Amino acid sequence: MPDATIEPSSPADGDGAATTSARKPGSAREATLNAALAGAGAGGAPLAQLRARAQAAYDALELPRWRRSGFWQTSFQDLDLDALAPLTRAPDATLPAVLADAAHAGVLVQRDASVVHVQLDPQLAERGVILCSLEQAAAEHTELFERYYLRRLPLDRNKLEAASAAFWSGGAFLYVPPGLRVEDPFQIVYEISDAGSAQYAHTLAIGDRGSELRLREYDIAVGEIAADALHAGQFELYLEDGARCRLAQLTDWGEGAVSDCSTSVVEVGRDAYCHWLPALLGGHLIRHHYELVVAGQGGDMAFRGILFSQADEHLDVFAVDLHETGPSGGDVHWRGAATGSSRASFEGLIQINPGAQQSHTYLQFHSMMLSDHAKLDAIPSVLVSADDVSASHGGTVGELDETKIFYMQTRGMTRPQAVRLIVEGFFEPLIVQLDDEPLERQIRERIGVKLAAAADDIERYALAR
Amino acid sequence: MPTELEIRNLHVRTEDREILRGVDLLVRRGELHALMGPNGSGKSTLANTVMGHPGYEVTDGEILVDGENIIELAPHERAKLGLFLAFQYPVAIPGVSVANFLRLAINAQREEPIKVKEFGQQLRHAVELLDVDEGFTSRHLNDGFSGGEKKRAEVLQMAMLRPQIALLDETDSGLDIDALRTVAEGVQKLHAEQGLGALIITHYQRILDYVRPQFVHIMMDGRIVMNGGNELVERLEREGYDRIREEVASRA
Repeated sequence: MPDATIEPSSPADGDGAATTSARKPGSAREATLNAALAGAGAGGAPLAQLRARAQAAYDALELPRWRRSGFWQTSFQDLDLDALAPLTRAPDATLPAVLADAAHAGVLVQRDASVVHVQLDPQLAERGVILCSLEQAAAEHTELFERYYLRRLPLDRNKLEAASAAFWSGGAFLYVPPGLRVEDPFQIVYEISDAGSAQYAHTLAIGDRGSELRLREYDIAVGEIAADALHAGQFELYLEDGARCRLAQLTDWGEGAVSDCSTSVVEVGRDAYCHWLPALLGGHLIRHHYELVVAGQGGDMAFRGILFSQADEHLDVFAVDLHETGPSGGDVHWRGAATGSSRASFEGLIQINPGAQQSHTYLQFHSMMLSDHAKLDAIPSVLVSADDVSASHGGTVGELDETKIFYMQTRGMTRPQAVRLIVEGFFEPLIVQLDDEPLERQIRERIGVKLAAAADDIERYALAR
Repeated sequence: MPTELEIRNLHVRTEDREILRGVDLLVRRGELHALMGPNGSGKSTLANTVMGHPGYEVTDGEILVDGENIIELAPHERAKLGLFLAFQYPVAIPGVSVANFLRLAINAQREEPIKVKEFGQQLRHAVELLDVDEGFTSRHLNDGFSGGEKKRAEVLQMAMLRPQIALLDETDSGLDIDALRTVAEGVQKLHAEQGLGALIITHYQRILDYVRPQFVHIMMDGRIVMNGGNELVERLEREGYDRIREEVASRA
């Protein structure tokens, strides 16, 4: 299993992006570890060329390790890539259980390295909606594909990113044409079904001018993956002028040994809007870079996130709220809880570029500790290069409140019931905003399962206080 | 036999000091009691101890429900015996609606989950009783509630959970006269309709203009120093706690 522990890194270490020349004790602790992508991606070239470049980067690079001076390290260096391979799967007409009860406009399922199921409402297809594997899009919708593919995503920041760009197979492509409003969600599922699976995933989604859509992505494991498996994903969503999207990404690799190193970017165009909620609800080792770019005047977004780490999970999130132009709006609100001996880190960055006047944004992170052995760090930072803007951040660190527990007990609830209700209530303000009942139910249920699994630990923690 | 709560020679301390120094009290279902006393006399401590607050240590005495000592029971087990505490300072439970909280609390106290229809009927009835609007039950419990709304929510919970004996810890404090009347009338109605027994803890006699207790107790310095009926309320209003303190001192 790859290393999922945090080791203090010594100041002598010279690798990793956090390294700076100034090393006054303590001075680097609040320093931003990560940089926003903040620019053009690798795209705009034929796919074969891009794959070759990614392959070259893959050959040259080491497996990544992110370290923050002092107390954090997220390392994929123990991952044995030779033991992992893309696993080809046959088409499968049955829908994954996770989609069972929901209406949808279209579904695409990738199992391990293969797209095994695609269906699209024929009426939508007639009106110009495209939902197909990314392989197929590259071959059959080449012009669209080349216009958007890797427009904002790089391919060579680290070996796993390069691997994804070089080796992806299957993949998902969604295009919603101008002015079309689609009520039901499009659902994209990436499943890992076995140990040894190397899943190089790529989703490219486009909401053309004035369109409106809902998109859900599930990154899930089928059963418990008993030995190493890898998901290295790239996700890109482009919302052209006036387009609106509600995007939710639910990552839950279960309690098995899945490692996940991914990057997701959403570009919001002129007067466009995105409500984006990633929910990170399970995974042995996860490193995810999320970047929401307001690229057009009047662009606006709500960037929500839920993370919940348990047992010995390791979760490292970097979320960027980037304003390239103004006026623009942003509202970043994440919540995280940690149980067991898990480690989670949320680094949130507001970046306002020169000229992005009248951008207004706020970033908040609220955390709840449910164990003495868990660690949950929040590192907000603000990089502002314009003078007529408002950008600030806030947050709270919560612990189980005995007064609340006693209050609920006097109403007949047991301690575990009370704790569960407190934690559910903690996430509820974000869940309810999804405005998507089946998905809300799934997230609530998963949180309930995680709490039940950690019940003894939480009880010990609560009693020891 | 109606449910009865009997407190015998109760001594309670917190980490730093002894607060209750031998309290005796008997409250039966269907009876309305008022427990009055100056600030710091131990009234809230008594209520919280009866419900099993972990911050209070019982050093001597017994708390009996129908003859069974409940001192070893967890708070939720005491609730299941029919005890209820309306808090002086109700806490907010963000993210949990009043209705959802009530449903969970009711279900926690019974074997079979309550039927949706039955719950709806009870909730409508309680909402009318407490004179709150329909939207009230979909708000998050006590989250951003005014003082009056919090106290209404306490009595609303009491109406829904139908306890045998309720302890109302300064439910009247911080209320304007309308809210006070609503809350007091709610208690009076639950007493009349459900046979609720209540120990109304109060600092002032204001709430007792609307709820007529049959029994009045005065607590000072961790003991109940005087028992009587409604005439005690009137006397207290006339003379104040100081006179009573003097009288108690001269008796001793």
